[in-house]
Amino acid sequence: MADSGAPKPSSSVKLVLLGEAAVGKSSLVLRFVNNDFQENKEPTIGAAFLTQKCNLPTRTIKFEIWDTAGQERFASLAPMYYRNAQAALVVYDLTKPTSLIKAKHWVAELQRQASPGIVIALVGNKLDLTNDSAGGDGEGAGVGDGEDARKVTTEEAKSYAEEEGLLFFETSAKTGYNVTEVFTAIANAIPETSLKTARGPGASSAAARTEEQRVNLNGPRDPNAKEGCAC
Amino acid sequence: MESLADTLWDVVICGTGLQQSLLALALSRSDKKVLHIDPNDFYGGAEAAFSLQEVESWVEKVETGKEGLFEAASVKKLGGDTGLSFPRAYSLALAPQLIHARSTLLSQLVSSRAYRQVEFLAVGSFSIFKPSPDSSQKPTLVRIPSTREDVFSTTAISAKAKRGLMKFLKFVLDYDITPQTDTWQPHADAPLTEFLLKEFKMDQELQTYIITLTLSLDGKINTRDGLAVIHRHLSSMGMYGPGFAALYPKWGGLSEIAQVSCRAGAVGGAVYMLGTGVKTMNDKDDPIVIELSSGDTIKTRKVVRANESATDRFGINRLVAVVGSSLKSLFESTVEGAPKPAVAIVAFPAGSLSTATGEASTSPVYLSVHSSDTGECPANQSVLYFTTGSEHASQDLLQQALDSFPAALSGDTVPQCLYKLQYKQLQSSAHSQANGSIFDFAPPASALAFDDSILQSVQDAWKMVLGDEAVEEEYLTFADREGAMDDDESV
Repeated sequence: MADSGAPKPSSSVKLVLLGEAAVGKSSLVLRFVNNDFQENKEPTIGAAFLTQKCNLPTRTIKFEIWDTAGQERFASLAPMYYRNAQAALVVYDLTKPTSLIKAKHWVAELQRQASPGIVIALVGNKLDLTNDSAGGDGEGAGVGDGEDARKVTTEEAKSYAEEEGLLFFETSAKTGYNVTEVFTAIANAIPETSLKTARGPGASSAAARTEEQRVNLNGPRDPNAKEGCAC
Repeated sequence: MESLADTLWDVVICGTGLQQSLLALALSRSDKKVLHIDPNDFYGGAEAAFSLQEVESWVEKVETGKEGLFEAASVKKLGGDTGLSFPRAYSLALAPQLIHARSTLLSQLVSSRAYRQVEFLAVGSFSIFKPSPDSSQKPTLVRIPSTREDVFSTTAISAKAKRGLMKFLKFVLDYDITPQTDTWQPHADAPLTEFLLKEFKMDQELQTYIITLTLSLDGKINTRDGLAVIHRHLSSMGMYGPGFAALYPKWGGLSEIAQVSCRAGAVGGAVYMLGTGVKTMNDKDDPIVIELSSGDTIKTRKVVRANESATDRFGINRLVAVVGSSLKSLFESTVEGAPKPAVAIVAFPAGSLSTATGEASTSPVYLSVHSSDTGECPANQSVLYFTTGSEHASQDLLQQALDSFPAALSGDTVPQCLYKLQYKQLQSSAHSQANGSIFDFAPPASALAFDDSILQSVQDAWKMVLGDEAVEEEYLTFADREGAMDDDESV
């Protein structure tokens, strides 16, 4: 995912994170974002949102990843959180069955609140706590043989994801297993038609028109506009 | 996760109206432990924006007296379900206030970096509804010339009137210095209309233009306040681009600013609980002990809340209508290079409407027309927000305005009204005040344009919460959060 080669069309995609507390939402994002920066940046508390580019063969997707900032804890997310989100990552902890129930609740909420074309990925995190060889191949991963903490089977979650038309992955934010794949799959699943412009959070097919309407509060101001000289 | 009861909160903010939300934004970098609750299950309080479903449950709550500042709410779908889109396609604003470009609110949103998450749209023309002189003619909309270029080019007024208007516009630009102050100060408390007649020999029509620019709900604004508001309007013109003086946040106005501010609070570590109010509060103790409606008992050093008891029974009446037309003629850019406006203002001056019993209106009715670009309705529809300060037959007058308005539109097909929401918002003369460790915000003003005076209350509350730690120069001045810097953006 290195930034190289000729410039490709670039589009911004707003991606929202959802899921029960402590399933590893932020860890997944930090894994994804830090891997690309190649700097040993410390996780930042209080990030409004993080951005990360994802290079596809024909285009570059720039994710604007919005964290819930804890507003999901008491079901207090605002409509502005879902607004214009083109992708959502709904995370559960595959060692905790209740977190999948919660995830299903979030999927329903997204179907109710979010834009109709939103791409949703269901992600079972903490694969490193299971005996699956795939998830346990990183250093420091796993809890040892015979101590499989998995409580949600791949089949159960996968069949639910298929029913609802969601992308499905099992990941380990700890080892990095499958993390980049999730974001790449989302990037690939976003329809080209909703990627017309590369500007602003929630850019959509109507964005070109929005752009001509939006008032920029930080742009160059009319130098003649001091104290009403425009009049 | 730490339970609510285990934390000693620095402040509990109750309510998510604009004032409380701006306070949350102001505290978002302070390391204070903030618990932000709202008995409503939506953000924005009296400044909320609703889907049609949310409108229905809100109307029910108003009718059971659970929304103290509102009464006489009713909702009506006209023509069945045809024409209306799905409920979430709408975002109807309870307080669709426009924000003048010179408002401190905008500079605070910029300095706090919260503006990045708000899309601002231009408020276009201000027009006057002129009733037809006789039954053979249609009523008309006359655009108010409010810039020098407008005055030159308008054909609506005579050459003599143009000179008078030009003289006045020039006067207002420097109205707060001598010798201008000598001219108006003797009339400071008299109605602005009187002053315009005496000093500028303006006829009633020109007076109406000027009064409309003040957006005075009763049309009786005094000279001091009136000149200040006109000055704000004129000096805002062109500030963020040619051809407009005011802005409107997309997706429901101030509601959006409240939500963005609360998110900033959450990002800064504040805990958010909607649908949770204060059940009991013991403020004799230090810390204050609060029993929440959720059953949790918590401790906090300070409390900030809204005074939502309406002390005055007078108020403003509103009628919100969704119509099945894009009303294109109202949203044309009038100046080259101007952003396409999404909001247009129309005033129905006193006397231009009459009640069912034939009495002429004694107060103006204001109409704020929002195009679908505001995100408040789907394409090919518009939202009409009618407001009057009239106490007499007010809903009747609003209905008259809604019925008379379409005939004045040129070129558009007569829009079909699909949906109607009516309510009364009560006023209060209460002021914001601190009382020991408790701060009460005054109920929100129901003016048509955002009034900067509430910003001082927010800052006062912030000072109470921070005490000695408050550094006034740093108020609402923040660096961008990690990740918010966008390399594609011109900064």
